[in-house]
Amino acid sequence: MIRMTGVTMRLDGRTILDHVTLDVAPGEAVALVGPNGSGKTSILRALLGLMPFSGYAAIDGHDVVREPVAARTVVGYLPQKPAFGDVLAIEAILFAARLRKVPRRRAEEALREAGIEDEAAQRRTKTFSGGMLQRLSLAVALLADPKVLLLDEPTASLDRAGQLAFLDIVTALRQREKTVLLASHRSEEIAVLCDRVIAVEAGHVAEPEREAQPAPALAQVIPIDARRAYR
Amino acid sequence: MRPRETLLIVAREVREAIRNRWFLLSAASFLGLSLGLSLLGLAGSMRSGFAGFDRTTASLLNVMLLFVPLMTLSLGGLGVAGELEDGSLATLLSQPVTRAEVYTGKFLGLLAAVWASILLGFGVTGIVVGLFAGGGNVGAFVGLVTLVMLLALATLAIGTLLSVLLRTRARVVGAAFAVWLFLVYASDLGTIGLVVARNLAPQQVFFLAVLNPIEDARLLGTLALSGRLDVLGPVGLFGLDRFGPTGLRVLLSAALGATTLVSFLWGYRVFRRTPVS
Repeated sequence: MIRMTGVTMRLDGRTILDHVTLDVAPGEAVALVGPNGSGKTSILRALLGLMPFSGYAAIDGHDVVREPVAARTVVGYLPQKPAFGDVLAIEAILFAARLRKVPRRRAEEALREAGIEDEAAQRRTKTFSGGMLQRLSLAVALLADPKVLLLDEPTASLDRAGQLAFLDIVTALRQREKTVLLASHRSEEIAVLCDRVIAVEAGHVAEPEREAQPAPALAQVIPIDARRAYR
Repeated sequence: MRPRETLLIVAREVREAIRNRWFLLSAASFLGLSLGLSLLGLAGSMRSGFAGFDRTTASLLNVMLLFVPLMTLSLGGLGVAGELEDGSLATLLSQPVTRAEVYTGKFLGLLAAVWASILLGFGVTGIVVGLFAGGGNVGAFVGLVTLVMLLALATLAIGTLLSVLLRTRARVVGAAFAVWLFLVYASDLGTIGLVVARNLAPQQVFFLAVLNPIEDARLLGTLALSGRLDVLGPVGLFGLDRFGPTGLRVLLSAALGATTLVSFLWGYRVFRRTPVS
């Protein structure tokens, strides 16, 4: 479902990714782990065609450089720091819905699923906290029920209850055979969500791919009290 | 490039222009300047009231040649750089759209908003002058509005090019001001310097002037107002003798069009490979 072969990215004379090769099978969830600046986010940005690179990258068989629209149609992306400009939350999601030819009803539903109520939907995104922006970004990412999710430190701005809600949503998506590529530092979310871990270091896939640790039950990762508090 | 997706981005730009209030502010500025100049147009003759279209158009030409490029160079400059810096360009480009659609949509959206503000500002002035001052050459006034729109097109394309070349708001604002100073003042001084140092012939000076979109607009405006270019000296006379009034209009309009096209295509070429984070 996701394939990168010999991807090299250079920026301002610095090598960000150096011949990165990786594969993610359909329905698989893979975590990219590594220190800050190792190249995890750059791998996701290359897959989205946001950064120029040499080599080959494809999603669902579509070359991300030659067929960017086809490749991104099947992707939902959750960036670490979402930004929507100076728009109302409802406008942000409706704009994405129009681009993806998704009906308004589904856009409103996606907002509710992400925990953004009607009153918040009418607010400017510039007034949103990091957590609210992350929720809006999740709603936009899941809008068109994408086959592939690219998640970049998705819970970095969320409080404990928000993290729990997020893990619940992505766990449910995993049960529907979505493919997930997750860049994260949080071992708990990697353990809950991912089948496999790829270590990235200084722009290289540093270690052979290995199995993630056996996933603990969600209740073990997030205390039951926190789940109740959220609901 | 798909028209539907491009139009969606155009509409988004227009909405943001209205929300950010620069649209209303610039429309109000066009209105204030044009009405103000029309009111002041009769001051020299010790009368008060609105001047007719002739005086208003003549007064407006030079002011617009300064004001419009300053506004559009800055707006175009902030277009891509602003979204690049705040991260919203990454959000947009992670959707199923091409970079050609995004670049074109953003440019056309800004252009639509700028043109709408020009039409709104000058439209109200046209109505007021028509009602209170009557007479004069309405055609020249309409010609001036068209010229201002053409100049806005060319300088907005240059601003958008600056935006993708420099990529941060601070650098773009500085560069937009520097380019404006160059086009408005320094290119004249440079040409004069070249004439003195290299003994340039009038035809060489003329072709140097044609490279500057503000000069193109100045020549076109002067030609529309008086039909003569002798006020602009031997260079203007050379252009008129060599190409005739119609040929000169076509040449100057083509030069403005070429500035737009080259800047736009160059900008897109850079944007296609711009790293977005």
